[in-house]
Amino acid sequence: MPQRNVVEASNPFREGLRIKESLEPCVMVIFGATGDLTHRKLLPALYNLALEHPLPAGFSVVAFARRPYDDEIFRKQALDSINQYSRQKPINPQVWESFVSGLHYLQSSFNEAEGYNKLNTLLNKLDQERGTSGNRIFYLSTPPSQYPEIIQNLGAAGLNKNRKGWTRIIIEKPFGHDLATAHELNRQVGKVFKEDQIYRIDHYLGKETVQNINVFRLANGIFEPVWNRRYVDHVQITVAENLGLEGRAGYYEESGAIRDMIQNHMLQLLTLVAMEPPIALDANSVRDEKVKVLHALQPLVGHDVLKNTIRAQYGPGWVGGHQVPGYLQEEGVSPTSTTETYIALKTFIDNWRWAGVPFYLRTGKHLPKRVSEVAIQFKQPPLMLFKDSDTQGQVEPNVLTLRIQPDEGISLKFGAKVPGTDMQIRSVNMDFFYGSSFVREQPEAYERLLLDAMHGDSTLFTRRDEVEAAWAFIQGILDEWKTAPRDTVHSYESGSWGPQAADEFIWRDGRRWRRP
Amino acid sequence: MDNSATAGMHLPWAGKKVRQELVEDELISLWHLAADNMRISQNMNVRTSVLNFVICAQDEKSAQEASVLLRDLSSTHIARVTLLILDPRSDIPSEVSTWITLRSFPIISDVMRHHFEQIAVTVNGAATHYADNIVEALLKPDLPVYLWWLNDLPEQLDVFQRLLRISSRVIIDSSRFSQPEKQMRAISTLLQESSHCALSDLTWGRVTALRELIAQFFDIADYRLYLMGLHTITIEYAVPSTQATTGAHAHLRKPGGALLLAAWLKTRLGWLLLEDEQDKYRDRESGVFSWHMSSRDMTKVVTQPASATEEGAQISTPPGGIDIEIRPRVLSDSEPGTICLVQLIGTDHGKQATFTIERGDDDDHVITSVDVPASTRPPRTVNIAATHKESKLLHNEMEITGRDHLYEKSLHEVFALLA
Repeated sequence: MPQRNVVEASNPFREGLRIKESLEPCVMVIFGATGDLTHRKLLPALYNLALEHPLPAGFSVVAFARRPYDDEIFRKQALDSINQYSRQKPINPQVWESFVSGLHYLQSSFNEAEGYNKLNTLLNKLDQERGTSGNRIFYLSTPPSQYPEIIQNLGAAGLNKNRKGWTRIIIEKPFGHDLATAHELNRQVGKVFKEDQIYRIDHYLGKETVQNINVFRLANGIFEPVWNRRYVDHVQITVAENLGLEGRAGYYEESGAIRDMIQNHMLQLLTLVAMEPPIALDANSVRDEKVKVLHALQPLVGHDVLKNTIRAQYGPGWVGGHQVPGYLQEEGVSPTSTTETYIALKTFIDNWRWAGVPFYLRTGKHLPKRVSEVAIQFKQPPLMLFKDSDTQGQVEPNVLTLRIQPDEGISLKFGAKVPGTDMQIRSVNMDFFYGSSFVREQPEAYERLLLDAMHGDSTLFTRRDEVEAAWAFIQGILDEWKTAPRDTVHSYESGSWGPQAADEFIWRDGRRWRRP
Repeated sequence: MDNSATAGMHLPWAGKKVRQELVEDELISLWHLAADNMRISQNMNVRTSVLNFVICAQDEKSAQEASVLLRDLSSTHIARVTLLILDPRSDIPSEVSTWITLRSFPIISDVMRHHFEQIAVTVNGAATHYADNIVEALLKPDLPVYLWWLNDLPEQLDVFQRLLRISSRVIIDSSRFSQPEKQMRAISTLLQESSHCALSDLTWGRVTALRELIAQFFDIADYRLYLMGLHTITIEYAVPSTQATTGAHAHLRKPGGALLLAAWLKTRLGWLLLEDEQDKYRDRESGVFSWHMSSRDMTKVVTQPASATEEGAQISTPPGGIDIEIRPRVLSDSEPGTICLVQLIGTDHGKQATFTIERGDDDDHVITSVDVPASTRPPRTVNIAATHKESKLLHNEMEITGRDHLYEKSLHEVFALLA
């Protein structure tokens, strides 16, 4: 038999299978595992992965938290959570038995060095008993204020490095409170982990429809030629919530809409829509292009901030058939709070593709409905042939809408002649719905993201420079707002689409907000 | 729907009987009616336009069963279904009859309903020879054609061959063939002449879940050391009773899936079956197959990492060759042909490892386990219920575009193993 040079071999059985990449078993250590995120999102996602068996045998979870639980209590809670939040129900008892045998609980405070030593011992034991081969993912699902001490303790215990296997750390948003804290957090985590070990999560990137933005743009030849300033009039990105604070005043008062939504989800959507096609689909090539967009954003500083942003708080009103209080009346909110629950802003991207095209971003709580979308409105034809008074005004511009949620899909608005003897034109929508075209149940965003982290694919996670560039853009706004007078915080009725000032803001440009 | 407008065959479940030349006009009327219903009921009417689905049956019962199964296939974005019922008997008059209906199924919730068109066509007597032309007139333009051939292949393959001509993909279930080996060879030959048409076999779909689990064993770097040293492969398939292990009841045995799996493993591992008859054993009485192979084409195999204890590049491969055995196991509560055991045994520098996939408490679950020196991995229960649901298997095949070269290669390997 011929001798061959040894190379890192791929698995010959993988060819032709839907899942192309290997997945080695690992331990996921969730810090703050008794919190909401773990029970609503992480455990259900992991169970669904186990059910659809890309999760390897031996996969284990260690819940690292302060409450005085043990394995049994945690497993019972996990069962309840999965029963409640899993997208696939009822639980398959046989798969559950396999899955639950890998769930463990370790009680410790985050600042207790001994807790990390115990963790180390437990992880080594799991390597022996469950074959996790030294592969670790540390998931920080705690309040951000606890990130530094957890990271530091992981480093002190040597858990950031393995003699065998790999180690990764997933950090939930918000990543920092402003540019300085984000930079400091990056510095701290960078002291302990290398950049390729760090996965900064933004769950929007795990949504099928967000991933479809790139596919739509780059797999179809007809859109790219018009995806630029010559044909696009403006872009509107809307992330609207109909919920209010939902008891999270403590977090939201410090955050506001700009940190909660704009700095992460909405700027991610903006970069995906605006970026240049990457040279390849590897993580860094894609993220390079996204960072370029962020660096090209026209800074908003000083007087420009007030000219190009509108912030507001919701007042009392009716949402979803229920009467709701105003923000300042919510429990835990200071009556003199200036935290914005709504923001609209206009920005420009100074590059050859987008120069002069305004990007309008708006987000808010207690808006009429929950919707996230990106709408690209195209310029009108250079010559309006249908000038007859009956038809003019009915010819609306073409709009390509990428609906992120709900009714995930894409629609194109264009004009069509109404059947009849006269020339009447109406706008019609050509719709592609994910839900009807691909009725297969979509995986939850966290399923995709956790699987990618296990694969070592960081494409859907944000990079250090990406995070800091996003903060750099936001920082000018934050700085100006600190000193802006109180009356720059407008009010809007709960259940409306925002303050009158936001309407006037876009009317000034001869445009209007979409009604999604 | 008026199904008694004309004399002749009646298919009450198939909708309104119409003249074939009026099919398109009649479908438009149905769509208008559906639009009215939508306004009343507030449902959102959705039509997808991705493929033509032609289902070819040999009797009304099979066609009706397939029609019911379409409920689970609305997610495959069918634009139009043509149910073709062929009765080629020479002693009956040549006749073509057509029925139309709209099918409507809720998509996840009832707010949105997926509609597609269904045309049922019975073709009798000599007219069956022209079934392809009849179907072709009914296809929606510009969309691929997926042909699902139900049950057994006919003795005369010309009708099947002509339908291949207009199809982008043909889907069969070789486990339902009365003479699987002979019939699969025939199909394989026909497909070589119809290179535009791809072949899907639901038997291969059933095996795919096991392929994934086998691949998962060797995703782990430590276990991949044993990959090239695999020397024993055992596959067991379910038979309903001990009777099935006798020659007289060979028809009760369905080893097709096991044969495909064995062929796939053989190919992936690069083993070659030489002409030496001593290396092949086939017991036509009991349904046992076994092969011994000692030659290997390493150029067909991806290399593996060298053992950590070795210096330089060494590849471990069993000096004694490999033994592959397929044998029946009596399991009265299992669907015949279900693979109930896959076991791979390999060595690496004197150490032996065993990788096992075994049926769990029922056909819907298997248990994977690994026995490797100085390493522990807990057994795992995996749900493979989807492999037993025909609609799920069909759904997976209908998502594939293009030829499945790995399946075709494995199929040819089966022929070689049985030669």
